[in-house]
Amino acid sequence: MSGAARRFSYAVLCAAGLVLAATGLGTLALGRPPMTHWVLMAHVAVAPLFALGLAAVALTWSGLCRGGVDSPLNTPAQALLWVVLLDGLVVILSGVLPMTPLFGAQGQHVLYLTHRYSAIVLTAAVLLHLPMLARRRPTKRGLARPES
Amino acid sequence: MVRQARLLLLATLALWRWLEPGHARAEDIHTESRTPFLHNIPLHDAQGRLISPPSVVSEDGKPQEPKGSPYSPAKTCGKCHDYDTISEGWHFNADAGTVPPGRPGEPWILTDPATHTQIPLSYRGWAGTFKPSDLGLSDFEFVTNFARHLPGGGAGEPDKIKATDPQMGRMLITGKMEIDCLICHQTTGRYDHEARFNALKAQNFRWTPTIAAGLGVFASFKSAGSIAEAWSPGRPVPSVLPAIKYDRARFDTENNVLFQVSRRAPVNNCYYCHTSESALGDSRWHADLDVHLKAGLLCVDCHRNGLDHAIVRGYEGEVHDRPISDSLIHQRMLLIRRDDEAIGEDDARKLARQQLQSEAGLIETLTCRGCHTEGRLGSPRLVHKGLPPIHLEKLACTACHSGPLPQAEPRIVHTSLAHMLGLPAPERGKNTAPIILEPIFLRGADGKIAPYKMVWPSYWARLKGAHLTPLLPAEAAKTLTLPQPSSDDAARDPYNTKPLTDRQIQQALESFPAEPSKGEAVFIAAGKIYRVEKGVLHSSEDPAAKPYAWALAHDVRPAAQALGARGCADCHASDAPMYFATVAARGPVEATNGLRKEMWDMRGDDKTVASFFAFTFHFRPLLKVLVFAAALVVLAVLLLYGLRGLGAITAQASSRGKERP
Repeated sequence: MSGAARRFSYAVLCAAGLVLAATGLGTLALGRPPMTHWVLMAHVAVAPLFALGLAAVALTWSGLCRGGVDSPLNTPAQALLWVVLLDGLVVILSGVLPMTPLFGAQGQHVLYLTHRYSAIVLTAAVLLHLPMLARRRPTKRGLARPES
Repeated sequence: MVRQARLLLLATLALWRWLEPGHARAEDIHTESRTPFLHNIPLHDAQGRLISPPSVVSEDGKPQEPKGSPYSPAKTCGKCHDYDTISEGWHFNADAGTVPPGRPGEPWILTDPATHTQIPLSYRGWAGTFKPSDLGLSDFEFVTNFARHLPGGGAGEPDKIKATDPQMGRMLITGKMEIDCLICHQTTGRYDHEARFNALKAQNFRWTPTIAAGLGVFASFKSAGSIAEAWSPGRPVPSVLPAIKYDRARFDTENNVLFQVSRRAPVNNCYYCHTSESALGDSRWHADLDVHLKAGLLCVDCHRNGLDHAIVRGYEGEVHDRPISDSLIHQRMLLIRRDDEAIGEDDARKLARQQLQSEAGLIETLTCRGCHTEGRLGSPRLVHKGLPPIHLEKLACTACHSGPLPQAEPRIVHTSLAHMLGLPAPERGKNTAPIILEPIFLRGADGKIAPYKMVWPSYWARLKGAHLTPLLPAEAAKTLTLPQPSSDDAARDPYNTKPLTDRQIQQALESFPAEPSKGEAVFIAAGKIYRVEKGVLHSSEDPAAKPYAWALAHDVRPAAQALGARGCADCHASDAPMYFATVAARGPVEATNGLRKEMWDMRGDDKTVASFFAFTFHFRPLLKVLVFAAALVVLAVLLLYGLRGLGAITAQASSRGKERP
């Protein structure tokens, strides 16, 4: 997988995540949750992009993060990527499952809270992950080792 | 010796009498069983005298008529059920002025088809209604206008009758309109509302409960109203007033009368005043009625009350609007002190208040949400599969579950109080005044969207500055030049439903006597104010013409017929009635002349937001497919590497095992 594809997929994830965090967590921190009107529409409109970005990151980055291979990422960065993927899955599923007739009021509420708190964890994980990636220079074949 | 024996006998008799149950005051006697007490009881008149119809033949052999004074519910039922406490109940306390008004409810609507008047009235001061006194309507006039559906008490039963008041003074003859307990509590189905209505029309207030219960008939050709008409304040009140000719068959050998009553008022009794019908005319048979009634509940299973008759209205937060009456506190205090002599009066009063407040808190479990959360009365618990929880924060339960399903335009609804349902009259039609529409989705005081009934006031008035003085129908009829329907028209259209044309409105306004000191002549109808300026009729939207709305809660539809049961598009389609139904203000003008608004506008929503949000629902299936597909990919990757990792661990463990045979 080319480095450009990796960078692009991560950029999509981060850009969409930024909008989602601003609308979702921004409302939680500064407004009156739950989201409504334009904020809700922006959140819902960007959500598929985030999900696609996450899928693309899963496809393009997972190979670099399996243990036991020669990876340009250090172990914490590798572990954080799995956290991002796992938590991202929880975030998108807890966001879309309430739109199906599978869960009642109580289940919906649990999903809502799950969505909220997993999104906070995801935001934190991505924010931790980004500086780790920034210290590596991506090459055509992957990411360069840190300069010693 | 004989004297001592006599004294002993007297003492024994006195003790016996003291011990027998009848010695206690009637108010203190209770059965406290779930088996209803057999109300085979003596009748008492307004003075508390026992009613005992004379025997068929007098001692000297002459036939006698079973005449007597009318029975008084206050003195008869009040023997055991404290009438003063009952009088403080929700159905009787509107005019007290001391009770929190609570959530706006159905108003009385002063309706006069001849002058095209429909004015919402309420003693409770709900915004958008007039108090009777605002219009110059006395309590007596209010009672005579609406007695047909008033249960008695309140304005009909003033504490004191002013003999000098030409209107209220009449009650010295007509009697007060006591609370008629049987309207709600009889279970025989033999309570005669039509006979009651006729008796009240004749102002035979004191006689009405007896007549309506079928205990007897009014034994005079002259009504109390006409006797009162001939009387004037200051003159002595006639000492002999008409009697009731009782039905002897209703009295047993001990002069007791059997009342088949129940604490749990039957549904049909509630329906007399609380019918709300949007399936008009013969189409009523299509209506399913409330799902709770179909499940076997009674209205009073949720709308309960104690002795104070502070009936539970059933909305969320009602507990904060409920007063706890002093008399109830007093009674509870007496009980507390009876059980515990050591407790002082002040402490007992405080404890009584605390106990009653704590009990009042239970009424929150009688709201829709409360009952279906607690599972009371076997209610199914809330499920709402597929409904994002935000809906429960933004919508009242009634928004999806109550009233008729919303359509492109709200429906016309008839109610007992507004359209005199329950009393025989020519068939009411869709234009019979007052025209009330439902469901209108508005935002309530709690910020939640709920369905409402709505009526637009219509009246002739004087406008001076910002102050409007409505004309009562009698004054309007006397003053204005209004179109008079021909006798043919009147026969064909008994409710005078023909709308006024602009020309007719202008003529009527120009026929107002020119009295600049009293203000300009205006007409309020269908959300607009009409006025003549320089010979030209103008109409415009005006706050004075704003509609009055009150929440509707019944009939409740089952979950399968709730809004949203067929999908999000029930409310989030680009033509969903919840947002885009057209509400045309109705009144005695051409329907096209009234104010027209869409539902989002009625509650001050943003149309762009509503439309765009509805538009986004076209893409909702695509969104779900994309997100699920992405989730599947992520899951697959996680599984793949997860399993690989697991494989590596097991392989490593096996190779270590080989190394150590």
